[in-house]
Amino acid sequence: MNCVGDDMGVIVRTAARATIPLIGIFGSYIVAHGHLTPGGGFQGGATIAGAGILFLLAFGLDEMKKRYNKNLYSALEGIGGLAFLGAAMLGIGVAFFYNTLWHNGPFFSGKPGTLLSAGFLPIMNLAVGLKVFTGLVSAMAGLALYRRWRE
Amino acid sequence: MKRTLAYLSLLFILGVLLYVANPNYGLKFGPGGNEWLSLRYTDNYYITHGLQEVGGANIVTDIVFDYRGYDTIGEATVLFTAIAGAVALLRPWGRDER
Repeated sequence: MNCVGDDMGVIVRTAARATIPLIGIFGSYIVAHGHLTPGGGFQGGATIAGAGILFLLAFGLDEMKKRYNKNLYSALEGIGGLAFLGAAMLGIGVAFFYNTLWHNGPFFSGKPGTLLSAGFLPIMNLAVGLKVFTGLVSAMAGLALYRRWRE
Repeated sequence: MKRTLAYLSLLFILGVLLYVANPNYGLKFGPGGNEWLSLRYTDNYYITHGLQEVGGANIVTDIVFDYRGYDTIGEATVLFTAIAGAVALLRPWGRDER
């Protein structure tokens, strides 16, 4: 039986190498079209984080340690939260969470149903998706790195 | 005996659910029709005004990020706090380093 630090063998590694880009692309689609189709920042971010967790499980902790940068992921999570709050602050002249980009903004104010519409909703979806992705990957890496039980 | 009883009880629960959840003669969960429009008017408001007030074609995203934005801020804060707490509790403490 493999321990956590090992990878899961060549079959799982090959399958993961084939499916991880597809999962990432699908999650990015869910995040980017969050204001048009079912889904949104949380769901798409969790989907992309699933790709990261699959990488951790298939390739093992040693490979994950080389690719995972704690400071970068912490910074990205903070940037996501701050971008969410900043997008909410845009219409502070009227009210918190006022969608001023949609009513009289220079961009993101196209026809409803197109990609560049809906004011701050795409910005917030991207911010929350980034935050959820980096947060869940960080939580999973923390669980794998700092485990307390013995093999 | 026990296993048979378990299967029988599962079958009974399935039958009860099939009867209760039937829209024709089952239980009614809340009002419907015009009474629904007069009592649950906020739902109808979001459906009819969400597209022009917020602009997203996905009404759920309109509600979550605009009408209920404070709730989403709290949710993001809860996620952040949960991850920070998990990493802070799981990392090796001083007395664990033998």
